[in-house]
Amino acid sequence: MRPPLHQPTSLDEACRLLDTLEDPMVYGGGTAIQILIKQGVLFAGNFVDLSRVPGLDAIEETGEGLRVGPMATVRRMERTEIVRCRVPLAAETYGHVANPRVRNTASVGGNIAHGDYRLDPPTALLVLDARVELTSVRGTRTVPIREFFVDFQLTAVEPGELITGILIPAAASGSTSAYVKMSSLGKNDWPAASVAALLDPERRTLRLGLGALAPVPRYVEVALDGGGVDEAVKTALSAVEPELDPIPDIRGSADYKRGLGMVAAEDAVRRAWEDAR
Amino acid sequence: MTQTTPFATGAGTGVGSSRSRVGAEGKVRGQLRHVADRPAGGAAHVAVHRSTRPHARIVAIDVSQAAEFEGVDAVVTGADLHAVFGDRMFTGPAFSDQPPLAVDRVRYVGEPVAAVLARDVATAREAAELVYVEYEDLEPVYDVDEALEGRAFVHDRLKPSIVFGDLRHLSGKSETNVAYEYNLRLGDAVTAGSQAAETTAHEFVAPPVHHVPIELPATVAWVEAGRLELFTTTQTPSYVRQAAADMLGLPLSHVRVRVAPLGGSFGSKMYDRLEPLMAALAWTQKREVRIVASREEAFMLTTRHGAKVISSMSTDAEGNIVAATADVRYDTGAFADVGPRITGKSGMIAVGPYRIPNVSITSRCIFTNKPSAGPFRGFGVPQVTWSHESLVDELARSRGEDPVAFRRRNLLREGDEGYMGTVIHSADFVGCLDAVTEAIGWDTPLEPGDRRWRRGRGVAVGIKAVLTPTVANAVLQLNQDGSATLMISTVDMGQGSDTIMPQIVAEVLGVDAEQIRVVAPDTDVTPYDTITAGSRSTYHTGNAVRGVSERMRERILDLAATHTGSRREDLKLDSGAVLNTATGKRYAISELVHEHFGARGATLTEEYNFTTSWQPYDKTTGRSPKVTEHWFAGAAAAQLLVDRKTGRVHVEHLAVAGDVGRAINPALVEQQLRGGGIMGLGHALFDELVFDQGQVLNGTLLDYQVPSVKDMPDRLTPIVVQNPHATGPFGAKGVGETGIIPIAPAVANAVRDAVGVRITRLPLSPERVLQAMNEAGVEE
Repeated sequence: MRPPLHQPTSLDEACRLLDTLEDPMVYGGGTAIQILIKQGVLFAGNFVDLSRVPGLDAIEETGEGLRVGPMATVRRMERTEIVRCRVPLAAETYGHVANPRVRNTASVGGNIAHGDYRLDPPTALLVLDARVELTSVRGTRTVPIREFFVDFQLTAVEPGELITGILIPAAASGSTSAYVKMSSLGKNDWPAASVAALLDPERRTLRLGLGALAPVPRYVEVALDGGGVDEAVKTALSAVEPELDPIPDIRGSADYKRGLGMVAAEDAVRRAWEDAR
Repeated sequence: MTQTTPFATGAGTGVGSSRSRVGAEGKVRGQLRHVADRPAGGAAHVAVHRSTRPHARIVAIDVSQAAEFEGVDAVVTGADLHAVFGDRMFTGPAFSDQPPLAVDRVRYVGEPVAAVLARDVATAREAAELVYVEYEDLEPVYDVDEALEGRAFVHDRLKPSIVFGDLRHLSGKSETNVAYEYNLRLGDAVTAGSQAAETTAHEFVAPPVHHVPIELPATVAWVEAGRLELFTTTQTPSYVRQAAADMLGLPLSHVRVRVAPLGGSFGSKMYDRLEPLMAALAWTQKREVRIVASREEAFMLTTRHGAKVISSMSTDAEGNIVAATADVRYDTGAFADVGPRITGKSGMIAVGPYRIPNVSITSRCIFTNKPSAGPFRGFGVPQVTWSHESLVDELARSRGEDPVAFRRRNLLREGDEGYMGTVIHSADFVGCLDAVTEAIGWDTPLEPGDRRWRRGRGVAVGIKAVLTPTVANAVLQLNQDGSATLMISTVDMGQGSDTIMPQIVAEVLGVDAEQIRVVAPDTDVTPYDTITAGSRSTYHTGNAVRGVSERMRERILDLAATHTGSRREDLKLDSGAVLNTATGKRYAISELVHEHFGARGATLTEEYNFTTSWQPYDKTTGRSPKVTEHWFAGAAAAQLLVDRKTGRVHVEHLAVAGDVGRAINPALVEQQLRGGGIMGLGHALFDELVFDQGQVLNGTLLDYQVPSVKDMPDRLTPIVVQNPHATGPFGAKGVGETGIIPIAPAVANAVRDAVGVRITRLPLSPERVLQAMNEAGVEE
């Protein structure tokens, strides 16, 4: 039988439900949950639907950048003007998620809570040094995104907690970035390798977020010492290579995905570098 | 038959008009009612418990938990059905070997073992998981090579059906996994090959793929006053009626099969899918039963035959093909389905549309422990085209010759007798080849690309026979007001038969096609028609429709002569009226019919039959002077880029041409060529059902890939080639399969041109392309 659906109308009520119900699961946009139900691999006793809790879908400008409510749709991250201006890399990366139908339904909070290693947004959130706000009856805490993805489909969200915000600092003015997504079958498929790259204005630091290339999204940061783009690529690739631990499947062998990851990383670095001109 | 009707169009919607598709708006708005849209009412919902083993003996089935589950009405096993129907429960178009539910033995992972009837779908599906089956594993046969080793057998005995006399000799054959073998021998291919100037030989593999129609298969069945009613998604209502009547032991009059417009099929909704099970359940449980397959179940219902082709082609010093051989192995899965027919019809053209004096072909239909393979747009031909169009390309290149020039020299021409023994007519291979090469600028210099992205061009040609022999019937009712109702059993599944058949009527009667309605197939009402498949309907049913329209025209003119006192030879039809060419007087059809019957709303009825015949293959040579009613000719050319770093292929331009005789509706013909091209591109680049030990690994749309809008080529050019067929309706032939046939080899040949590697296994996934480039030492 399908788990009962609870529809709280306040954050307090949602937290109480998550605290008291047996095996609760937060229901956001539902795009991942519906698939898991269909596959018969979803194990939850109760759904707590956030759609009636007011204010959880806000996208607000803050001093450091943006604060995004968990129920904001992926599509709004792609299209909203303040996202495009303040964190263009995030807007670009959210625009690569699945297809417009899914983007119009999927929620920003549900997306990262799903914790799939192939997701697009975590790559950008990693390089932008985002933080995830988690709330429960015990209070609120903040977890750096770089510590959020713990293991294969496992996140830092504790029982009773829900994501109440993602805080995304804007990159320094003059930073440049790129997101490269490579699939091995249809172009609309999950990526077989994806890389977000962010270059600071002085080209001293290169940050890379790797998707689909290990059981969890991976973050790599390298210091550049003033060489050209070829130098930067070389430095980046030698730092990326040891991080690659792809899962072989119908989309490619581990070796192929490792190679694809290196190409995606190089392409992302070069595009971020070009973007700087 | 001679053409008696001029090519003038009636009210602008006759033959040659691109009138818009009938029912298009309803499809876009979701208003068209499909089978699954029928209200469930009090029907029992059916869910199926499926085998988890590729090959096993059923020791015991425990249905007690499922049967006691709240909301469950009944649980039925194969043994239950066998007790009622005996061996009549085994059905199939070529062999009577498919049980609706497994009896004693399972032959693939996913085979139906028990059916649960319950108050709703969720209950039925949950209870289906409570059926427990004890298996004793048997040695499985996973692929065609293993099957030929003959260590384990999928069936103890072959069971050809009574329908096909030419399969009778196979009855009772044991210790084999070969369901059917076809051999073609012309000249001495071995000697000619060994003495040839150049020979190229390879082993080609095309994996099983799935059709992925948008609409899922669905069947509703009930018994009414001792008659069985089936409302179902099928391309073959007449076949389904016969199969159900045979199984239940009923006269044909006591089985009614109705079809709603299909939301795509491509061969997946043919012959015995959900219908035998639902017929058996409705009959034995005496109630309305209903099933709508899930997407995951649809992957288990049927697939396209995977195939291996071990082949060679040889040329003399002047570049004339002198010999060709092909050892074709079709993987038909657990049941024969229509595999034996595919094996023969596609085997006989397995070395391509070329003039070849020495040919040796062996084509086998082979059982394995996989889901049963069946018809798929192209009927086995794309798999052999993959072989011959790769070989001929490689042979041209090894001679240092332009692959187009080499093909042009060797292609079959009008009037040639092909190596299979049948003459070529209205199949302009050279015209199709020229059209696609011109479209992509084959003779203009190729900008080779940069270090990373390498550009190449490739071409391929295809040949296919139309399904023969077949029977088509049409009944036309002319209504008193001048509108008309056409009764045929052609199923519109997106190909547009409901759009073009009225155009043929309109052309003959000089009326507006918008005034003509095609009745949805209903075996109580619409006449027998073999099947809607194999690109046969435009020609066969189209000829029946033209014939019935011409009879109706004569009937109206006779009526006009009688009622107006005109001379019969002075009368002709003209824009909804009868014109007396001697007096210039016009008589409205509506008034003539009104006067004739003295009643408004009366109808005139005519019927017409069109049947084609063939001559079966010679038993020793495999040749026949009339193996088919006609041929389809097609060609494709591709210009593409290959990423040296990732192996990814990006198609810049794909041109697809087909000789359609004459286009009844040019816009729909172009759509068929485009659709075939896009589907073929999926098969070329990533479409594949992946199996591991008999288990499908990617049987969901999360993992199974079909082309999306993002996978479209930058340009896609359909080209309609028209060489009117002498006996086609207004010269027309079908086009449903022409577009898909040459796509995969055209793409592979372009990859060969771009980076110098010959890939012989489909699909051309980036990993496979990259690996081939690395092995060949293609520089970065």
